[in-house]
Amino acid sequence: MNKEAEVKLVQTPAKKRKKRSHSLERKTARGGYLFTLPFIIGFIVIYLPVVFESFLYSVTTIERINAGESYQLIWAGLANYREALFSDPNYVQILTAGLRQLVLDVPAILIFSLFIAVLLNQKMVGRAAFRAIFFVPVILSTGLIAQIDTSNTSLMSYMSDTEGIGTNAAKSTSVAEIVSAMDIEYLFSNMKIGGGMAKYVSQILNNIYNIVNRSGVQMLIFLAGLQSISPAIYESCNVEGASAWETFWKITFPMISPMILVNFIYTIIDAFTSSTNSVMSYINQVYGEAGKDTLSVAMAWIYFAIVIVFVLLAAALMSAFVFYQRRD
Amino acid sequence: MNNAQTEVKVKRETKNKIRVEFDRTPFWQRMKAKFINKNFLTKLIWAIFRYVILIGISYIILFPFFTKISSSFMGPEDFVDATVKLIPKNFTFDTYKYIFLENKYMQALGNTALLSVSAALLQTFVCAMIGYGLAKFKFRGNKILFLLVIFSMIIPHQTLQLSLFMKFRYFDVLGIIQLLGGGSSWFPWFNVTGGTTSINLTNTYIPLAMLSATGLAFKNGLYIFMMRQFYRGVPNELEESAYIDGSGIFKTFLKIILPLSIPMMITIFLFAFSWQWTDTFYTSLFFTRTSIVLMKNVIAIPESLNITYAGSNMYNAAIRNTCGLMIIAPLVVIYLFCQRYLIQGIERSGMTAD
Repeated sequence: MNKEAEVKLVQTPAKKRKKRSHSLERKTARGGYLFTLPFIIGFIVIYLPVVFESFLYSVTTIERINAGESYQLIWAGLANYREALFSDPNYVQILTAGLRQLVLDVPAILIFSLFIAVLLNQKMVGRAAFRAIFFVPVILSTGLIAQIDTSNTSLMSYMSDTEGIGTNAAKSTSVAEIVSAMDIEYLFSNMKIGGGMAKYVSQILNNIYNIVNRSGVQMLIFLAGLQSISPAIYESCNVEGASAWETFWKITFPMISPMILVNFIYTIIDAFTSSTNSVMSYINQVYGEAGKDTLSVAMAWIYFAIVIVFVLLAAALMSAFVFYQRRD
Repeated sequence: MNNAQTEVKVKRETKNKIRVEFDRTPFWQRMKAKFINKNFLTKLIWAIFRYVILIGISYIILFPFFTKISSSFMGPEDFVDATVKLIPKNFTFDTYKYIFLENKYMQALGNTALLSVSAALLQTFVCAMIGYGLAKFKFRGNKILFLLVIFSMIIPHQTLQLSLFMKFRYFDVLGIIQLLGGGSSWFPWFNVTGGTTSINLTNTYIPLAMLSATGLAFKNGLYIFMMRQFYRGVPNELEESAYIDGSGIFKTFLKIILPLSIPMMITIFLFAFSWQWTDTFYTSLFFTRTSIVLMKNVIAIPESLNITYAGSNMYNAAIRNTCGLMIIAPLVVIYLFCQRYLIQGIERSGMTAD
C-alpha cells in the first residue's frame, strides 16, 4: 500500500512534465505551420504548378480554342529547344554576349558595393546625407524609370559626346566621358597589366551609372553585415598596431565573406530582372511574337539553366573561402 | 635647479588663492604639434579622398535627375538652341500641364496608389508572418520551407512569365471550378460565360493580391529572408514571458513582436511599395487592356505637345522623362520621410548568412 502510494507520488510529476513538454512542442509546431501557412498554400496551389507548367509549355505548343476561352497543349518534344539553339538566328549570339556581360558586371557590382559600404560605414560629417543619396537608385531608378532611361538610347546616339554619365541626360552636351580609355591604358601600361584589363576597367568606369544603379540593395546588405562586426575586434586590432589596410583584409573581409556570397547570388538573380539584360529583352520580344510564346519559355529555361549551373559552381567554390563566426 | 625656479613663478595674491604662471608653449608651436604629424596628415588625406569619391558618385546619381528636372521646364525652342545647357531659356510648365491633363495622370495615380499600397501592406504583413514562423518555431519541415523560400527567390519570374499569365488567364484551383461547371451564379463578377471551365482573372487586381497574400510576389523571398534574420535576433524571453502571462501565439505576435519590428517593416514596405509603383513586369503581364489606367500608361507624348521639328527627338525624350518625374514624385516624398527608417531597419537586421 505504502509502496504503491510512493510509486504514484514519484511517477505523477514525471508524467505531467512529459505531457506538458509534448503539448508545448505540438503547440509551437502548430504555430509554425499557422504562421507559414500562406506560403505553404501559395507554394502548393500557385507556385509549384506554375513552375511545372512552365516546363510543360517549353515542350509543347499552345493552341487556343473556343475563341480564346480555353486552350489545348500539343506535345512538341524538344522542338522548342532545338529551334532556340539551332534555328533561331539571334538567340545563341545574344545568349553568349549576355552571359559574358554578366560575368563582367557581377564582380564590378560586388567590388563597387563593398567599397561604398565600407566608406559609408565610417564615421564622418554628412554620413546620413550620403547614405540617403546612395539609396536613391534602389527606390527611384527601377522599373518604369529604367525603361525610360533605356529608351533614351536614341537620344544618346544623337549626342555622341555624352557617353559617360549622361546616359539619360536630355541636356548634357558639355559632359564628356569621365575617364577616357586612353588614360586608363596609360595608367596600366606603367603597371605592366594587359590591354584587356585596361579595356575592362574603362568600360566599367564609363558604365558607372548603370553599376551604381544596380548595386543599391547589395550596398544595404553589406552595410548590415559591416554593422554586425563587433567594434571590439577593431579596437584590439588598433591596439596591436595593425594598419587600416591590414585590418580590412584580416578582419573586415573574412567577416563580410558570407555577405559576399549572398550578394553574389542576389546580383545574378537581380540581373535577370534588370532592364539592361539583353537576353531577357530578346526573350520578351520573342514572347510578344504570335505563336512563339512557348519558344520564349524554352529560351528562358536554357538561359536560367546555364546561369544557375554557373551560380551553383561559383557558390560551391566560394563557400570554401567563406568564414562563419560561431556565436554561441 | 635655477631654471625650474624661474619657469614656475608662484605669486601669492591672497591668503587662499595661489596663482601659478607657466611658460606656455607658443600658439604656433602647439598647432604644429597637433596638425603636422603623420597621423593627422594621413587622416586628412583619407578624408579628402573619401569625400571626393562620395561626392563624385553622388553627382553621378543625382545628375540625371537634375537634367530631367531642368529639361522638363524647357520649351520646345530650347532643344534647338545650342546655348541652352541646364538652365531653361523659355521657362514653361506646359509639359507638366499637358501630361497632367491629357495622359489621365490622376486616374493612373489613383489606381496605382490603390494597387501599390494594398499590395505593399499585404506583402509586408505576410512576409513578417512567414519570417516569424520560420525564425521562432521549431517544426518538422522548417528548414525545407526556408529552402523553398530561397528557391522561389532564385527562379526569376521572367522565366515563369507565360505560365503565370496562363495560370491567371485560365484560373482554376485544383479543378474546383471545373467541378462547378462554370457556375456563373457563384461568381457573377468574374464574367464567366456558359460552358467554360476556368475564370479569367487578368485585368483585375486579383492575381497580384493572390501573389502578395501568399508571399510569392516580386522579391518577396528577399523580404521573408530579411524578416527571418531580424526575428532571429529578437530574444526568446520576450515571447516566453508573454506566454506565461497567458497570451496566445497570435496575440503575442500582434501585440509584442509586430510593434518591435516596425523599422524593419517600414524598410520592407518601402521596397515593396516603390517596386510595385514603378513595376512594369506584372502590370503589363496581368493588365492587358488599357481600360485600367496605371502608371505605365502615363508614359506617352501628349497630343498638344506632339510637334515635329528639328529638335523633336530630344523634346520627346524630355517629355518622357517628365512623365517619369511625375510618376516618381510621390515616391520621392515618401522616401524623404522613410529613408531614416530604411537605414535603421537594415542596421538592426544584423543579417548573418548562416
